[in-house]
Amino acid sequence: MAKVEIFDPAMCCSTGICGPSINPELTRVANAVYSLEKQGFDIRRYNLANDPGAFADHEVINRILHDEGPDALPVTLVDGKQAAVGKYPSNEEFSKWFEVPAEELNEKRKVRLTLDINKK
Amino acid sequence: MFTSLQLGAVNHTPFLFFTGKGGVGKTSTASATAIALADEGNRVLIVSTDPASNLQDVLETELTNQPKQVPGIPTLSACNLDPEEAAASYREKVIGPYRGKLPESVVSNMEEQLSGACSVEIAAFDEFTSLLADPAIVDEFDHIVFDTAPTGHTLRLLQLPTAWMGFLEESTHGASCLGPLSGLGDKKDLYSSTVNVLSDKEKTTLVLVARPDSSALMEADRASTELKDIGIKNQILIVNGLMGKHQWDDSIASAFYSRQQEALRSMPVALKEIQTYSLPYVAYTLTGTISLRQLLSHVEVNPNAVTVYDDESIEIPGLKKVIDDFSKNNTRVIFTMGKGGVGKTTIASAIAVGLVERGHKVHLTTTDPAAHLTHIFQEERGKDDLRISRIDPKETVESYKKSVLSKAAEGLDEEGMAYLEEDLNSPCTEEIAIFQSFAEIVGKADEEIVVIDTAPTGHTLLLLDATESYTKEVPRSKGEVEDYVKNLLPRLRNSNETSVVIVTLPEATPVLEAKRLQEDLHRAEIHPKWWVINQSLSVTNTTDPVLRGRAVSEREWIQKVYNDYANKTALIPWMSEEKIGYKKLMDFSK
Repeated sequence: MAKVEIFDPAMCCSTGICGPSINPELTRVANAVYSLEKQGFDIRRYNLANDPGAFADHEVINRILHDEGPDALPVTLVDGKQAAVGKYPSNEEFSKWFEVPAEELNEKRKVRLTLDINKK
Repeated sequence: MFTSLQLGAVNHTPFLFFTGKGGVGKTSTASATAIALADEGNRVLIVSTDPASNLQDVLETELTNQPKQVPGIPTLSACNLDPEEAAASYREKVIGPYRGKLPESVVSNMEEQLSGACSVEIAAFDEFTSLLADPAIVDEFDHIVFDTAPTGHTLRLLQLPTAWMGFLEESTHGASCLGPLSGLGDKKDLYSSTVNVLSDKEKTTLVLVARPDSSALMEADRASTELKDIGIKNQILIVNGLMGKHQWDDSIASAFYSRQQEALRSMPVALKEIQTYSLPYVAYTLTGTISLRQLLSHVEVNPNAVTVYDDESIEIPGLKKVIDDFSKNNTRVIFTMGKGGVGKTTIASAIAVGLVERGHKVHLTTTDPAAHLTHIFQEERGKDDLRISRIDPKETVESYKKSVLSKAAEGLDEEGMAYLEEDLNSPCTEEIAIFQSFAEIVGKADEEIVVIDTAPTGHTLLLLDATESYTKEVPRSKGEVEDYVKNLLPRLRNSNETSVVIVTLPEATPVLEAKRLQEDLHRAEIHPKWWVINQSLSVTNTTDPVLRGRAVSEREWIQKVYNDYANKTALIPWMSEEKIGYKKLMDFSK
């Protein structure tokens, strides 16, 4: 099974809701990662603002940062190899790496109906 | 009508929180209590959690965020829990080990990110919890006295342990928006013991401080209710500055007295059930250990010792000049800023009404969660050219959540929405939501003059800091940034468009706080134009000994403001009635 690691730039939250604007790209990625994690795939995210150790200790990432600076982030590694630099992977890429249908990552599912007779 | 405050009568828990509206004398009553406890031989720490702390002014000694012994009182230590400083030391702890390991540009990028409003808030909160729950600190003292920021801010600080606890407990996806403290999960135990300490009546006493005036009492009532809701039930009330004997034939003194008595008569019902003590209105300034000891020992001041009011005066204009100036120069954004309790809301309202009367369209708003624009205007809203609103934290967060979710709804399934929604429940969201709505209101200043009554200093400084750090993030942001966000800081810095009015009382602490506020604003490249000195007794003709004592001590501060601090100064006399309703505000602004 593929192992995917995403190294995020320094930010408050990985959903991107804490910045001066909402970046829909971040929301998409957060959601895709969440859904892949839940299916048991080996996918991880590191945020420079609260996990600098992961960046400093990782040979490939540390080299990219020394060569290109923080603007190179986000960087995605698949099985330790550079797969995307300066942008997040698309859902198609995720689906290729993990061999899951892309629709599962972005298609709207049926809304669950809940009935609570105790509430007015 | 109340028991006069004798320290022996109060049960001394290890933790004492002093809270209340700005300007009610939290710092002086907290300091007087701390000194009295220390004089009895207890080891005492007094901590200010106000980002714009006055503790150093009242104790007359420089303070940092490390406890330091107060000169002359061996068992008393004091410190200022400054959020910016807490954030700086937190930043260094996170980043320090990686200097040299990661390139400089990466390190400075991290630093920037860890300077946001959310990091600042959490870092301060983190230091605060360790004061309550870390045995290394708690065991060193018999009592820790907290002198807190004006109510709005304090409520938030005290509610945060509960909020974060709830957030950590309910989080299903490992709580992604913990912002800068990703290791927060490990601190769950610390937060739950903080919550326990706060709600244990053997450990914590909440001291509500109020002046005998209606807005301070309303505020104490609000704080009392909200804090009871989160389990802080051991509460007492101190009515500070209660006027007793006075010169009955002096019109100012009797108006002063009847305003107080009237306010006490209409005191909120729930407050009446709390054990209440009073402290007298005194002629001397409450700074320095000597006068603080006097306050609790109830030494009567000999009226004959008060210097007679001399007559040399400086010509200082009133509020009309200020409003004329804004009207003539077509100022678009006007802020009133200053310490709590100095009358910012009334001054802002009078400026707004004055501008409407001079033919302008005006939007009056407040960022102060404790402000009472509705109280000031009652039903009397006046003309259509005056729009009144408030930035209410709870409502603002709700509408921010809705707008984020509706924008994100496209392309997200139900679970994805739930995931995002969970993140939006993070206490961090409040900072960004308030900032967004603040930016939006300022953005409309082309169509209408925007008059903004701000929250007391500390809160305002944090809002401006947030503005700066978000502005730095804008160029990097890949999302869609609204124009009003991009234009916010340049507009605030443009002195042709924006004016800051610093409001103060002619007394030591509000003037010193305003001076520091002005220095902070200068650093942010915002330059206040007017200083308004409010409620001056020295321009009234009072002959009452206590009031005259106050009037005499005012002079030093009026002169300092006029000569050293202010670009332009206005002076407003103490008035015997509250300016409530459009018509009275209109007369006031003439």
